[in-house]
Amino acid sequence: MLRIRNLRCFYGRIQAIDGVSLSVRAGELIALIGANGAGKSTLIQAVCGLLPGWEGEMLFERASIRGLKPPALVERGMSVVPEGRLLFPPMSVHDNLKLGAYLRCRRGENRAVAADMEKVFDLFPVLGERTKQAAGTLSGGEQQMLAIGRALMAQPRLLLLDEPSMGLAPFLVRLILDILVRLKEEGMTILLVEQNARSALQIADRGYVMENGRIVLDGPAVDLLADREVKRAYLGKDYREFCDGRA
Amino acid sequence: MTVWNAAEECLDLEERGQQQLERLQSTLNRAYKNIPFYQNRLRSAGVEPSRIESVSDLARAPFTEREHLSENYPYGLFAVPLRDVVRIHTARGTALKPTVSGYTRQDLALWRELTARALATAGVSRADILQIDLDPGLANWGRDYKDGAETIEASVIPLTLLPPEKQLMVLRDYKTSVLVTSTSAADQLIHHLFQANLNPISLALKTLILVGEPPDSEVRERLERQLHVKTWVHYGLTDVPGPALAFECEAHAGLHVSEDHFFPEVVDLETGEAVPEGEEGELILTTLTTRAFPLVRFRTGDRVRMMAGACPCGRTLRRIEWFPRHGDEMMVIRGVKVYQQQILLLLERALGFPPSSWRFIARRQKLRNYLEVWLEVDERLFSDEIKEMEKLSRDLGMDLEQELGVPVRIRFRESRSFDLSGPAAGLQDPGGLLQGT
Repeated sequence: MLRIRNLRCFYGRIQAIDGVSLSVRAGELIALIGANGAGKSTLIQAVCGLLPGWEGEMLFERASIRGLKPPALVERGMSVVPEGRLLFPPMSVHDNLKLGAYLRCRRGENRAVAADMEKVFDLFPVLGERTKQAAGTLSGGEQQMLAIGRALMAQPRLLLLDEPSMGLAPFLVRLILDILVRLKEEGMTILLVEQNARSALQIADRGYVMENGRIVLDGPAVDLLADREVKRAYLGKDYREFCDGRA
Repeated sequence: MTVWNAAEECLDLEERGQQQLERLQSTLNRAYKNIPFYQNRLRSAGVEPSRIESVSDLARAPFTEREHLSENYPYGLFAVPLRDVVRIHTARGTALKPTVSGYTRQDLALWRELTARALATAGVSRADILQIDLDPGLANWGRDYKDGAETIEASVIPLTLLPPEKQLMVLRDYKTSVLVTSTSAADQLIHHLFQANLNPISLALKTLILVGEPPDSEVRERLERQLHVKTWVHYGLTDVPGPALAFECEAHAGLHVSEDHFFPEVVDLETGEAVPEGEEGELILTTLTTRAFPLVRFRTGDRVRMMAGACPCGRTLRRIEWFPRHGDEMMVIRGVKVYQQQILLLLERALGFPPSSWRFIARRQKLRNYLEVWLEVDERLFSDEIKEMEKLSRDLGMDLEQELGVPVRIRFRESRSFDLSGPAAGLQDPGGLLQGT
């Protein structure tokens, strides 16, 4: 569904991504893990049209997405849940969700949009109880639910999530990840960028490990979870052990 | 038809291209980051891993030769800390120092998967009793075949060094249905079978997995006819991991390379340049998924040609045709590669000086393949006591046998026996001959 070949991204003269190839097949949940500054969020921004000037090739459903702006990508079936949620704090839950379906509303799909909003409330009942509440007054977990709900309102076939567990209590992280599993089971294709490597790999089909703008490991998520290199570097063990080795 | 892992073996070609590129890039990134040898080699060739933008760009990277494996003895080519390595394999190598390769837990799982894949394709199932009969030179494969067959849940009779008569006894009494062996050893088995007055039909044997050397079609046909079995050919590497990385399917039209884990290239033996598809050349392999011991453009020394077109079995893994090796530095005896340089070094070590004239011949007697080493008797080798000469011959033979893993016979010859007017080197059917001064 999403195919990236030899992606290079720059912030001015600084190269943030250096020759990354990655793919997400239809129906897959892919985890992209790595330390801070590895280039994970840059990759998401490039995919969803927020970072112009990238080099390489990116295909969504076999068509190039070069030069496409975010609205065009949403139109094609791609939605993003950005890092930090980026909600509209003074606006209500209802209005935030409706904004997610902005393009569809413009096309006059109001009834379908209303039906989808019910689906979001089914997924996140707490949002249904607070439709009129300002987004800025929700808890961190509820805001994350709203950000995911808003992305779903565009009826995407590919959902990109950038650090959805950031700043959340463990039980909320579990809740959010359970929702992602449910979405995958319903046929959604998902690219999940996470620093919380263990949680991401536990629900993913495959995973990629990014380091300094490059992919250094990839494989079935279950293998990466068991990989000692990944364990030391990203699953909580001392990084120095990794460097020293036994030799 | 059994496809062990249809998702991987029958992957859409476009997806395969993407998968190979992704795996190649991450392999190169890791090798460059973790192994000084590869970092230096790639740097001096001006190859930056992140600039490998397609699998064909790999041709810009330098080859890894067998000698490099010995030069980096023991752990110089490991890409992970030793604490991550759960198995260390030693192979004989091409010189005095052995070749060492390491496996992480995932690597072992990979080899189990690949061997199981190849065995399942040959119809091996949990209903089978699988016996492994390989020469000491192929002992590493014994372990991998055992693991792969156990993954399929077949009953395994692991590699045990027994004389041919006893192997035959096990084959008959244990009701072996699948035998993993080299073509030469299978040939020898027939000899012993008929000597023991045993009717092959009375055996439970139905499948012969031939490894180590590409069987001559005539020999293969004879094995199938005389033993009433189906034969399947597997290709693998002995000095580094591992067996069955290419295997025959039921179409028996070439060997499928497990391209999800290895990227194959075929290059001209002399120039090292890629040959057009379908032309014969040397097989070059790059690992795509191994963790502990990645190989970048490893020169296998084996002659193959890449076969075009789709296979009727439905697998999209490309196929190779494997040819017998005709090199001037190596012979294959009972599936084991034997290197001229290595024999010379071993002789020099044992004698204390290099032999003045020598001839190494791949011999075959009573269907038994062995290495015959001729040495010129000069003043340094000569003794007027016949006992001394016999002892020297015996000691040298035992030393070489231990090191090479194949049967060896030493013959002392006068200088006139070494007629160097013919080809100084090169294989001669049915065995091979290497000669020099």
